[in-house]
Amino acid sequence: MSTLPLPRLRRPHRPRSERADTLWAMFRRLLGIPVVLFALATLVFIAMRLLPGSPTASLAGGGTNLTAAEIARNQARAGEALGLDQPLLTQYGTYLDNLVHLRFGESFFGSNSVLGLLGDALPGTIELTLAAMTIAVLLGVVTGVIAALRKGTWIDTATRAVATVSFSLPWFALGVIAIVVFGVWLRWLPVLGRLPSSLDYRPTTNFVVIDAMLQNRPELIGPWIQHLILPATTLALSMAGYITRIVRASVLDVLGDDFVRTARMKGLGESAVIRRHVLRNSWLPIVTVLGLQFGSLLGGSVITETVFSYGGVGRLLVQGVLQRDYPVVQGAALAIALLFVLVNYAVDVLYMILDPRIRKG
Amino acid sequence: MVLEIRGLRVGFDVPSGRLPAVAGVDLTLRRGETLALVGESGSGKSALAMSLVGLNRDPRTHISGEVTFGGRNLAEASERELRSVRGKDIAVVFQDALAALNPLHRVGAQVTEMMRAHRRMPYGTAMDRAVELLGEVGIANPRASARALPHQLSGGMRQRVMIAMGLANDPAVLIADEPTTALDVTIQAQVLSVLRRASADHGTAVLLITHDLGVVAEVADRVAVMYAGRIVEQGSRDEVLFNPQHPYTIGLLGSVPPIDGPVADRLPAIPGSPLTGVDRPGGCAFAGRCAFAEDACTEQPELRHRHGEPGHLDACVLPDSVRRQARGAGPDPQPERPERPEQLEQLEQAAGTERDLVRNEKGRS
Repeated sequence: MSTLPLPRLRRPHRPRSERADTLWAMFRRLLGIPVVLFALATLVFIAMRLLPGSPTASLAGGGTNLTAAEIARNQARAGEALGLDQPLLTQYGTYLDNLVHLRFGESFFGSNSVLGLLGDALPGTIELTLAAMTIAVLLGVVTGVIAALRKGTWIDTATRAVATVSFSLPWFALGVIAIVVFGVWLRWLPVLGRLPSSLDYRPTTNFVVIDAMLQNRPELIGPWIQHLILPATTLALSMAGYITRIVRASVLDVLGDDFVRTARMKGLGESAVIRRHVLRNSWLPIVTVLGLQFGSLLGGSVITETVFSYGGVGRLLVQGVLQRDYPVVQGAALAIALLFVLVNYAVDVLYMILDPRIRKG
Repeated sequence: MVLEIRGLRVGFDVPSGRLPAVAGVDLTLRRGETLALVGESGSGKSALAMSLVGLNRDPRTHISGEVTFGGRNLAEASERELRSVRGKDIAVVFQDALAALNPLHRVGAQVTEMMRAHRRMPYGTAMDRAVELLGEVGIANPRASARALPHQLSGGMRQRVMIAMGLANDPAVLIADEPTTALDVTIQAQVLSVLRRASADHGTAVLLITHDLGVVAEVADRVAVMYAGRIVEQGSRDEVLFNPQHPYTIGLLGSVPPIDGPVADRLPAIPGSPLTGVDRPGGCAFAGRCAFAEDACTEQPELRHRHGEPGHLDACVLPDSVRRQARGAGPDPQPERPERPEQLEQLEQAAGTERDLVRNEKGRS
């Protein structure tokens, strides 16, 4: 066998430097996270103070048999105690100073530390959104791939119709329907809370699965899943409909690519062509959408948690807003933002793993 | 004889009807030879090649006729049968290697996949063989290059990877579909010589699809000229290139600008455009563009030996004297044109003057 002497690689291939590039790109993306969080903290700070009403009004004891003057005095005292009598700029400075030192303050009502409240609420939200995400991805990818492979048939048409309907339905409507149908009529599943109140559960990490393992209490898992199914599915359905459409479009797009013909030319079976060549390349746009959709999933969890009385950050946020409990709202918003940013960071990393072409990016 | 094609027809359903991309082709491919299938875009050469292994099978594509390979008719074979032939006995090298290679798989893995699709073999063994193949097609440092992704290689390297992949299972037939079109001229020459050497070393018959007569001159043993879905001329390379019989081939050869001659003001070209529609009039498909067409051309001419060496076939009913005249006239013999509408003439002239004016202005600035 002869070898031609001519060719040379245009750019020599160096795996080690490629890995360094990848790490550097991942690091650079990390740098953006504090900036985003700072911007968000400022926005929430301003938004809360723009809302009509103030926390001091409810603290001052409205509705009791106090005179108007007494209420006003109480209100002023409360404002003073909470630092709300300071100029806005001073309040903002104090807030930022606390934030930088990771002091998140206490609730205006009942003096619970915000960090403690979040520690109780975050695991529930993470459980709920992860479960919803899993359901949505499974449902969306499977139906999307089937619709694409059966393009033009009634299966395709039906899948797309259902997908469109499901992602057009608002969460609160879905949630209420789910509660009425599965909880009230059929009585298949519990509809309120994270765990039955009859169960004696003392949280360690507040992640039920982890606690069940730590405390060696496998009997926690069953009721936990039962409580999770309805809210998670409610949350997942609209996202699944959206994913179905994206997956279908992406798979159809890749099916038309030349390398799919190459794969068939190799004599590969159709399932290998789909698995190894079509799906892997279809993942890129899908993963991007997943990251962005996670944002709306978090938004949806606020509503879903409230509808299902499910203890999570969303419900904490809603209560906080209603009571004008500034520290709680600021903390909860920041926690949700951090969750969103981290998931999108994970998506970026996943993207780099899936598509080696952008590792240099 | 490795591959024998008899009466192959390929039709595509389009909104206006069925497009006859290949309208009855007979062709044989012999062991170890390189047969160039020449034709302009839309002549049906790629449709023909893809239908040999059913890569264009689709509810809207209709393939009929005989493609005899190893005692089987591939035109009617089941998808499962075809799958066992594809990549193993008949492999394809595609045109645009960047698009034809999976962007997310390392090129070594893409070559091994070709082998492992047909043979049970450990990944390591397959990879060793892939590296060997990559070296064989002239890729420097093949062990490292096997770990590269397609976008990290140059265009010439990628096309070599395609060729290495094509040869991975030592196929009896390699279909090369315009393998050099996307490449620079210098790289083209390298890739062609890789292809030629590989086919010689492996005894592979190559069906080379191209519109580039330079490529034909360089690597082909035999040439088949395709026009509007039919073979219009076929013979050994030297016969077809130096003693062309069909007016279309003559025009095609006349359109190649000479490398050392005077540069023409305007490149010579065959006037008109090929039939591309669904409805095609009977008779010689080239008659409408042929300056020498006669009444006899309204009947479908048979592809058979008429002039030149034995084995030189053409599908033209015109007598030798006319052919000789055509060879002397170049691709666009204006004066011979009998019925040429005056309006068209005027339009062409107007366009010509305008173009000249533009050219002059450019020259001055």
